[in-house]
Amino acid sequence: MAATATAQFQSEEAPTSVLSAATLVGPATVFVAAGLLLPLAILFRYSLNTMDARRIMHEAFSLENYLKFFADPYYLGVFWTTLRVSALCTLVCLVMALPLAYVLARTQTRFKNVLIMLVVLPLFVGNAVRAAGWMTIFGSRGFLNVTLMQFGLIHQPLEIMYTETAVVAGIIAVNLPYMVLTLQSVIEGINRNVEEAAFSLGAGPATMFRRVLLPLSLPGILAGTILTFILSMNAYATPVLLGGPKFRMMGPLIYGQFQLNNWPFGASAAFILMTATLGLTAAANILVQRRYRR
Amino acid sequence: MTRHKSRREVLLGAAALAGAATLPRQAAAQAKGRIVVGTWGGDYARLLNKNIEQPLLIKDGWEVVQDQAGDPERRSKMLAEARLPRGTSDVQGLSALNMAQMNDAGVVAQIDYSKLKNAANLLPAMKYPYGIGQIYSGKVGVCNPKLIPTQPISYKDVFDPAHGNKLGIIDIQYQYTLVCASLAAGGKVGDIEPGKKLLLECKKAGMRIYPTNEAFAQGLKAEEIGTGVMWKARVVQWQNAGISVNAIAPSEGTLAYISGFVMPKNAPDKDGAYAYLDAMLDKSAQEAFAIDMGYNPTVTNAVVAPDLNKRIGFTPDEVKKLVDLDYTYMNTNDIAFKEWWDKELKS
Repeated sequence: MAATATAQFQSEEAPTSVLSAATLVGPATVFVAAGLLLPLAILFRYSLNTMDARRIMHEAFSLENYLKFFADPYYLGVFWTTLRVSALCTLVCLVMALPLAYVLARTQTRFKNVLIMLVVLPLFVGNAVRAAGWMTIFGSRGFLNVTLMQFGLIHQPLEIMYTETAVVAGIIAVNLPYMVLTLQSVIEGINRNVEEAAFSLGAGPATMFRRVLLPLSLPGILAGTILTFILSMNAYATPVLLGGPKFRMMGPLIYGQFQLNNWPFGASAAFILMTATLGLTAAANILVQRRYRR
Repeated sequence: MTRHKSRREVLLGAAALAGAATLPRQAAAQAKGRIVVGTWGGDYARLLNKNIEQPLLIKDGWEVVQDQAGDPERRSKMLAEARLPRGTSDVQGLSALNMAQMNDAGVVAQIDYSKLKNAANLLPAMKYPYGIGQIYSGKVGVCNPKLIPTQPISYKDVFDPAHGNKLGIIDIQYQYTLVCASLAAGGKVGDIEPGKKLLLECKKAGMRIYPTNEAFAQGLKAEEIGTGVMWKARVVQWQNAGISVNAIAPSEGTLAYISGFVMPKNAPDKDGAYAYLDAMLDKSAQEAFAIDMGYNPTVTNAVVAPDLNKRIGFTPDEVKKLVDLDYTYMNTNDIAFKEWWDKELKS
């Protein structure tokens, strides 16, 4: 009877599971292929064309746009600024999010859901609106300057608006909830007993964090870091509104090229940004995975 | 005995009722056709609807649909649709500079002015072979007398490095700013090199660059800056909002800004396009735009109240001295100008 049951299981279940897998994966795959890969392929093709203001572009197979990007210190400068700002924002988000995520994960209070909602709350507001809020704080007659001047700490308003500092603050505010939520869900999955075991074996809080919590939460740190880094690399509204005309990141640069009807160069800049983001993300993933295995 | 209606009968009845309810509207819309209008969004789109579409077209049985987007996106769309026998818009709202660019690209139809009854009143300067000026204003000097005690009378006075960081310019207005600076430096609309040099001197002296018109207005309001250049119509709006600024028609001649409409060659409803172009030149629509938006009418029969005209308009002498852009020069060199602006001036 048992043999019959096994035979039935094998004969009926195997083909069904293959079919089910295809059914489950199919729609999403088709959607991604049609909605993402196809436009990307078209955009890549455009990036090999040459500019023609009268007809948007000339059909060509040229690397001219890519060469122009890497040969021009201005565009390279924009690229490095984007990398620097993204790395800084990611690092600050990680440092700020870790303690907050730990408290959220370990708290036993009945208000835990409320605390999580408070973390998520900023995401209910669009980036542009949030940036407008920062503008009222950072402006020469904004909240920060007026407060500092009223307390006599400064006599001239600080120039914060339209600086890299304003952009970094704005991006961190946008990305921090993503990092906190990612870390919180991973730390919650780590058994509290392993921390207590470390303490009972004589480890201090710093040693426990370094030897136990950090290695175990590495997958969460990796996921949160990747998410935050990608969001920073592609930031648009915050650099435009808080960075002003003199501060340039890749997102606004790419959009600016499309506004000038220079689609081929805009497309090539978009591909450079995407490739760099994917490359760095993959490299970080591989490095952390290797260390994690050890 | 009352027979209960089945669910199917109720649904059929409701569908028939809904169908009947839409009949008059569809019939009215089909009576004259559908006009698709490419336009910027915001207040301008709202005013097109309020002053042109509702009172002059929809009332007469036209259906009007607005395709709202920034002009770069709409220009790209026109270029991308150029190969199609039928495009997706009947008229497109663009600046005079961009109307010329689209004409140069060969995607807009030439206007048959005999089909427009209001064309007889159109100012000759607003009558392009490929498009029609709907409203105009001029790039005037702006000045806060509190910060700039000696009121400028020319672009040269505005773009004076001595103003230091009290002089402001607007990033998105790079084309017009370059030409104003060129006029200030004794150059011409067809040669902005002197203007580039002057702007670099102003930058060295501390000139501020604001990303948008609104940010520039905030700079004026916060008294970060006291002078710059802006459309006279916009200065009127700022004055209405309580910002302390005067508008100065520069002695070099005011650089004109003209906004109008073109008809794509492949417009699906050309009769509708002509109806729209004629309606926008109607006396009532032109007067309403002057009141609501502060831009000057482009037809001679529009009457603007003297007090409003004093604020938004130009004297006959100033009108005579209005300066227009060199469209070919600007469009040919646009990318080069923007690259210089980004790399040299803003760096």
